Amino acid sequence: MIGTNLQAAVKTALKYLFMSFLVVLFFFPVAWIFLTSIKTTGDIYAWPPVYIPRHPTLQNYHAVLFGSKLGRYLANSIIVSSMSTVSVLFFSSIAGYSFARIRFAGRRLLMLFFLSMSMFPQLAIVPALFIWFRKLGLINNYLGIVIAYTGLFSPIALWILTTYFRTIPLEIEESAKLDGCSRLRVLWAILLPLSIPGVIAAALIVFIQTWNEFFLALVMLSKNELRTATVGIALYPGEYAFPWELITTATFLAIVPIVLLTSVFQKQIIGGLTAGSVK
Amino acid sequence: MVRAHSNDSRCGILLVLPVFIIVGGILFLPAVYTIGLSLSNFSFLKGTARSFVGLSNYLSIFSNREFVSSLSNTLVFTLITVFLELLAGMVLALILNRSFAFMGLLRTTILFPWALPTALNAIIWRWLFNPDFGLFNCILVSLGLTSARINWLGEIPLSMYSMMAVAVWKTSSFMALILLTGLQTIPAELHEAAEIDGAGWFSRLLKITLPLLIPSILLALLFRSMDAFRAFELPFALTEGGPAGSTQTLSLFGYRQFFQFLKFDSGSAVSVVQFVLIMILGAFYLRVFRTEND
Repeated sequence: MIGTNLQAAVKTALKYLFMSFLVVLFFFPVAWIFLTSIKTTGDIYAWPPVYIPRHPTLQNYHAVLFGSKLGRYLANSIIVSSMSTVSVLFFSSIAGYSFARIRFAGRRLLMLFFLSMSMFPQLAIVPALFIWFRKLGLINNYLGIVIAYTGLFSPIALWILTTYFRTIPLEIEESAKLDGCSRLRVLWAILLPLSIPGVIAAALIVFIQTWNEFFLALVMLSKNELRTATVGIALYPGEYAFPWELITTATFLAIVPIVLLTSVFQKQIIGGLTAGSVK
Repeated sequence: MVRAHSNDSRCGILLVLPVFIIVGGILFLPAVYTIGLSLSNFSFLKGTARSFVGLSNYLSIFSNREFVSSLSNTLVFTLITVFLELLAGMVLALILNRSFAFMGLLRTTILFPWALPTALNAIIWRWLFNPDFGLFNCILVSLGLTSARINWLGEIPLSMYSMMAVAVWKTSSFMALILLTGLQTIPAELHEAAEIDGAGWFSRLLKITLPLLIPSILLALLFRSMDAFRAFELPFALTEGGPAGSTQTLSLFGYRQFFQFLKFDSGSAVSVVQFVLIMILGAFYLRVFRTEND
């Protein structure tokens, strides 16, 4: 009796130990840049090292938000990511409805086409996109990158939405169709509201991926005023003499929205990421 | 289900058409055009009309030592990181498959590295690896564990190992998520029956869990190795490909051909080589996947 109790206690202790280990392992890099961001410049470059800031300060935040282009970069990221997310969801929900509900010839082949497209590396499409978009005036233009992202991220959204739509029972839609509702109306008024968790998952995954996308953003929004946060911050070290107090502060600010989104919606995101991975 | 009417069929295709046009226009056609570029002598610098030059761009990149080393860096990086990620992801998934208190916190923890932008993650680690003021050297030197500061990103081959460590840290948890989903579909009865028959934890892992998990493992390997093969912003922001090109990947080399040297023709040949290798990789996994499923 005592033996099993002890065993259970050890097991629980091990579990908590392991969990704390994971939390430390995955959060220490961000904790470290946060600590750096609230240190005085003297503390950052002190020896022996100062781990916990002696005089916590927001001066770096002030400097980054008012003295650098970071605010502009963040605004660009928000504009590009939200416009792309809306555009991707619009197109892929229509197509997803078709894949989930209508049996048409070549359906499987088309899905395979989309899935294989999502494997295309950016390097293979960048030369042509750059040449074409330059001719069309779509380089250094929000519209250009939104179009590119719509192409790039629609396959994954399409996959998530189709998988989700298939889990919704048909009956409600069929009665609506009998009432003479058109297909798009069925999608808009019945299927989408029933699929909110799937739509949220797809929207978040697309938003995060567009926020994080680097290659196309680097090439297509090259003007300093138009850079997204990821690109703008990553180019910092090359352009200035490594002001680490500002770089860490800007990095922290740029990942806060992403961290908040994932911690609030972790369930939906995991559901979306693993959609269809079990068949 | 009722047989599809031709009306239905037309409607189905019509609804897919907009996505088809955009995806085709942004991914498929550009890739085809890139193949064309790789066979031409187009260049922004020359500004001359394009003409067909056969395979000469390919011959020139394969005789370029920087290209060959980028190719081998990419292969080594992909093989080693994906292998380590599979091991780490498997351990994570097996442990997470047991029930836990604070599951929400744990899920957030696992998702966190995935959600972090690769480029900014590279910047964060560049700071952690900083030889003078980075966390690692601060700890090692002030505890007296090393006599000299370690130049994590500035020495060959250490720079490549450091870059691999960052990649494994960032993506093992994604691997774990996919494996975990697979684990959760394995019926508990199988394990219970085996346990009654006296099978230990390890033999159950080998004889039940792993065989049933193979589809998930293949899928995770497929995603991760294709992703590792096109690694771009990690070397771009962490090491800039250095020192002496030792961490330069194919994507970074290709990017520089395009936008540093404006060589769109030989750059496209790099793209095509990468593209073909990725497609071979994809086809290989799908093949194995099929035979496993049969």
